[in-house]
Amino acid sequence: MKNNLPDKDGFFGEYGGKFVPETLMFALNELEQTYTKLKENNDFNSEFHKDLTEFVGRPSPLYFAKRLTEFYNSGSIWLKREDLNHTGAHKINNTVGQILLAKYMGKKRIIAETGAGQHGVATATVAARLGLDCHIYMGSEDVKRQSLNVYRMKLLGAEVHEVNSGSATLKDALNEALRDWVTNIEDTYYIIGSVTGPHPYPMIVRDFNAVVGYELIEQSQKSFGRMPDSIVACVGGGSNAMGIFYPFIDMKDVELIGVEAAGKGIETGEHAAPLNDGSPGVLHGAKSYLMQDENGQVRGTASISAGLDYPGVGPEHSWLKDIKRAKYVAVSDDQVMKAFHMVNKMEGILPALETAHAFAYLDDLMPTMKKDQHIVINVSGRGDKDLNSVVEIEDIQL
Amino acid sequence: MRRIEKKLTELSKNNLKAFVGYIVAGDPDSQTSLDLMHLSVNAGVDILEIGVPFTDPIAEGPIIQQAHDRSLENNTNLESIIDLIKRFREKDNETPIILMGYINNFLTYKDLINTSHESGVDGILVVDIPGELSLKDYGIDNQNLDIISLVSPTTAQERIQNIVNNSSGFIYYVTLRGVTGSSNLDGKEIAQNIEYIKSLTKTPVMAGFGIKSKDDAKLLSSFSDGIVIGSSIVELIHKNSENKDFHEVSDYISNMKDAIR
Repeated sequence: MKNNLPDKDGFFGEYGGKFVPETLMFALNELEQTYTKLKENNDFNSEFHKDLTEFVGRPSPLYFAKRLTEFYNSGSIWLKREDLNHTGAHKINNTVGQILLAKYMGKKRIIAETGAGQHGVATATVAARLGLDCHIYMGSEDVKRQSLNVYRMKLLGAEVHEVNSGSATLKDALNEALRDWVTNIEDTYYIIGSVTGPHPYPMIVRDFNAVVGYELIEQSQKSFGRMPDSIVACVGGGSNAMGIFYPFIDMKDVELIGVEAAGKGIETGEHAAPLNDGSPGVLHGAKSYLMQDENGQVRGTASISAGLDYPGVGPEHSWLKDIKRAKYVAVSDDQVMKAFHMVNKMEGILPALETAHAFAYLDDLMPTMKKDQHIVINVSGRGDKDLNSVVEIEDIQL
Repeated sequence: MRRIEKKLTELSKNNLKAFVGYIVAGDPDSQTSLDLMHLSVNAGVDILEIGVPFTDPIAEGPIIQQAHDRSLENNTNLESIIDLIKRFREKDNETPIILMGYINNFLTYKDLINTSHESGVDGILVVDIPGELSLKDYGIDNQNLDIISLVSPTTAQERIQNIVNNSSGFIYYVTLRGVTGSSNLDGKEIAQNIEYIKSLTKTPVMAGFGIKSKDDAKLLSSFSDGIVIGSSIVELIHKNSENKDFHEVSDYISNMKDAIR
């Protein structure tokens, strides 16, 4: 383990904790106890790693982006290919781990929230493997823009519940999943999809995704003989970023950069960048940076990517920001679309719109790098799911 | 003596159970909320629980969620709610008032909460924190307010002692696994759990969540010091808020009050 956080109450500095209705405390404590025991259990760990290898297809390659490197001409750009995982994103690392927890706890019913649908698909996938009853909550706005993923979940046997309350996006899906959990607390396991929510979720989701960072340590050594100079990842809730950052937290020479969604621009207020333009608050069980108004009400968000369209962020990111161990920047929808095309044309890779945020930051980052430096981008997911959105945004006739 | 303690002592002296009634401040509008507060008290509510609207009320079922949304559309915030309570106190200085809401709103207005007793607030109930959490650590520190905590059917016995030590006014026993306005009350389990809480504290215990009918109210009041009703009242308010004739609300409260006598 690279640091001892969270503390016993689930805090990373002042962030995190368990701010939940009393009925949920029992389930969170039960989960925490089970996880603390199982993470030291050899059978559990070998089952997890066997699934990662044989079902997910790990390790994901570290790939040298030759043309992007030549284009920027100021440092080597490497891609950590989470887009090549089964189901097309890093999300599966977490669901493979959490479904094992559910199995060990004897839970028969699985629930999850989803924004872009990637976590919903990853959850429905692992639930199908174990033949468990699976319910996915998804905002009706997201159901519209991610209809392909909705159908995938249904193919996998999950029931998809459309959520119409509030802004009908990811945050409302999370509200509804929490309400389901409060009601069905004894037989239900809630697979949260990011490093958000009450303790112990931010820790569990980070640990299951940290396989990405641990692989990167070995692969960097092998590919260029040392650790990277910079690691860049997009941040919505922040699970792909936390997974790749975590093993590097103590390696102070490795710069960690999280890229948030600036939407139409930070200055317009229409974005999804709480670390850049938010303040500490409590949402969905944890204290963290939050987009909120002067009354403490949660503000609406705007982003081209459904997966980043969330007003909060994982508490560990808030802590890394405050102690200045990681740097958090934001890129606009327009910058993202430009990067999306560039990665397709220059590397033959179709990145998710979420992932394209990380690529978009290269325009700012690369001019500051030197030729002998190494930059790693976490390619968190592939973009097949976004083709409908892109076609619509660019008003293309197919 | 504080208003909550005074009211509950009085009721118990007369062998009566307490009726805690919940409405969302600002639904349908602030002036009507003021009228509804007085109307509820006249119809039989002993303690008023005033809902503070939040954009993401995870413990509420659809009825109360929608009331929060309506209230937020009217720009209700904690300042306007404190103002509402001040106006209520011009005519009623007896009925205890509790603010019920979510931690993020209370933290945003902690200075206001710390002086809210001056405006006539008697207690706060924060729905989304565990009962042993110390609000003082978060800057909410007002010795003049009662801090009401929730205990639920799933609360581990070893935690209940800490929760009751951290509470005053009354303990709010959540009668079911679910959000506000759900159904399926388990009388036997509720009776046992309330008995256990009462073995640990002299603080009165109210039962709430999922009470709809007179039978529910009668059953739950038989082993508690009183009942809390929210969703049913909020629903009736909404149903009649167009013509603002709230006699249905008044009748409902009187009926429930009769049921717990």
